[in-house]
Amino acid sequence: MVETLRDAVRKIGRRLSNSTRLIDYYWQRTRRNKLAVFGLAFIIFLIALAAIGPFFTADPTAVNFEEKEIPPIGFTTQQSTYNIESDKFTTNEIHGTWKHPLGTDSKGRDMLAMIVSGARVSLLVGLIATGIAIILGTIIGVLSAYLGGWVDNALMRFTDVMMTFPFFLLLVLIVFIFGPSLAFIVLAIGLTGWTGTARLIRSESLSLRTREFIVAAKALGASDNRVIFRHLIPNVVSLIIIIATLSIPGVILAEAALSFIGLGDPSVPSWGIILESGQHTLDTAWWVAVEPGIMLFLTVLAFNFLGDGLRDAFDPKSNV
Amino acid sequence: MGKSWLRDYIVKRLIYSIIIAWGILTITFILVRVGPSSPADKYLANITARGGDPAQVTAAIEARYGLDKPIYVQYFNYLGNLFRGNWGWSFGTSMPVIELIKAHWIYSFQLILLSSLFAAILGMLIGIYSAVKQYTKTDYALTFLSFIGISIPNFWLGIMLILVFSVKFGLFKTYYDTTLPLFSLDNLKALVLPVITLGTGMLAGYVRYTRSAMLDNLRKAFVTTARAKGLPERTVIGKHVFRNALLPLVTIIMFDLGSIVFGGAYLTEIIFGIPGLGQISFNAIFANDYPVVIAVTLIGTFMVLLVNLATDISYTYLDPRIRYG
Repeated sequence: MVETLRDAVRKIGRRLSNSTRLIDYYWQRTRRNKLAVFGLAFIIFLIALAAIGPFFTADPTAVNFEEKEIPPIGFTTQQSTYNIESDKFTTNEIHGTWKHPLGTDSKGRDMLAMIVSGARVSLLVGLIATGIAIILGTIIGVLSAYLGGWVDNALMRFTDVMMTFPFFLLLVLIVFIFGPSLAFIVLAIGLTGWTGTARLIRSESLSLRTREFIVAAKALGASDNRVIFRHLIPNVVSLIIIIATLSIPGVILAEAALSFIGLGDPSVPSWGIILESGQHTLDTAWWVAVEPGIMLFLTVLAFNFLGDGLRDAFDPKSNV
Repeated sequence: MGKSWLRDYIVKRLIYSIIIAWGILTITFILVRVGPSSPADKYLANITARGGDPAQVTAAIEARYGLDKPIYVQYFNYLGNLFRGNWGWSFGTSMPVIELIKAHWIYSFQLILLSSLFAAILGMLIGIYSAVKQYTKTDYALTFLSFIGISIPNFWLGIMLILVFSVKFGLFKTYYDTTLPLFSLDNLKALVLPVITLGTGMLAGYVRYTRSAMLDNLRKAFVTTARAKGLPERTVIGKHVFRNALLPLVTIIMFDLGSIVFGGAYLTEIIFGIPGLGQISFNAIFANDYPVVIAVTLIGTFMVLLVNLATDISYTYLDPRIRYG
């Protein structure tokens, strides 16, 4: 009993040290790409912001019409107010204050607090929906390649049908039919976004399937389960990581775009919803539309940089 | 030999496309039937408010739309109606859906056509230039810019363009003027910002794809041969390298139509108030106007299907090496 336990611990230790060495190797390769490092740094910053930021900022839903449309720090705007007693418009200059570093929107909500809670929504949607899509795509891709025959045919024709739907139009239809709750939006993106992954994983698995080590494993009597989980999947992990990193931005943008056209979850202030509300106050409070857009843009850029860097690092043919 | 393989191939692609079309219609049907609301909801609140009996109203409306029939009958009715061009009635605008679409498709079409042309032509030119100048400062700058172009959310870009060029400088109207005749200079001017909004992401993508496709071919032996023959560099790049890089590019441009262009056009139309299919679908969402939302999704999907079919067939002409069994 003790013996087997010790063996097990040793085995896990060996596996871990092996993988840290690999991680170390890939990290060395990725590190040489400055843009990828910038991307990773920004993503870590964003995760920290989303995780602990809301504890330090004001309530993002607190409405205060006394303090509406205050510009960000360093900016000044003119605001005219109508005085009912004197029947006159008075114009005041309004400066940004440290109380609201990023200003306030047309309802007096603190922009910083909204941006921070929006980061939480966008990251959660991006990670969970991508996770669902990748897992689904990997299962379908591996099964299709490994089982072949009519299963492969049926799965790939289904993938073809799903791929023909323009991604965003299908999302609009699904969310319109089933109603815009955040959980459902995440699920809808996950259940529609797997097609590209399935195709890539299938073609990668097809070429792996005929390689010597898989044939050898089968010849030694390994079960299908073992071949798939111990030999096939570990060899497509790098591909999965790259696809995941590069598809997160599309998912985040899809959620923002849905929110933007009014199919977002109204109870959660996501970046898309803030952006949409800012579109109507462009002439009086431009920052409401500008700020969430900058965050969206930087987030997407960071994931694209990182994904591109990882692709080069994982590619044994490229010299980084 | 002859052309018989080509005819067989086209027939095969056609049958395949019909199967895919059937899949699309079936999935859409399932989605709508599984969904929690029914067309009756639209009238229910209205009629019960006037003292009608909800159960009676629901039954009447379900009979009117054939929802009381067995599910397989509904399914065949649905397919039959779509083929006969009976796409349902738009409650929101009080007209047949098909008429609504006939009146609005041209606005989406002009936006998508102009944006695609703008992106494809400029994108390929910049991509070629970048590849020829590989590893120079210009190349790095262009690569970096294309990263930015890909990452900018196009709906945000549209708003920023309005903010800068319409609100600040007053160069363009903030909204698309629907009274302009389609083929006029004013209309073209009104489409400048929307085309940039929709085209930038595509443009940046094409720059990257063109660059890498050019680089793949630049190192091949036939390029060295062409140069050794003493051909001018212009001919080598334009006629030998670019011709070979073009085929994968066509695939990508066609693929973009489904993944980027339709979604992007939808949002662009909403931002600029262009009365295309995206705009009518957007309005229909708020009016809970089911048939219109479904119709717009189906039209987008069938356009992709047709373009895929056309791409596959055009390949046999573009690349004479391709022979399908």
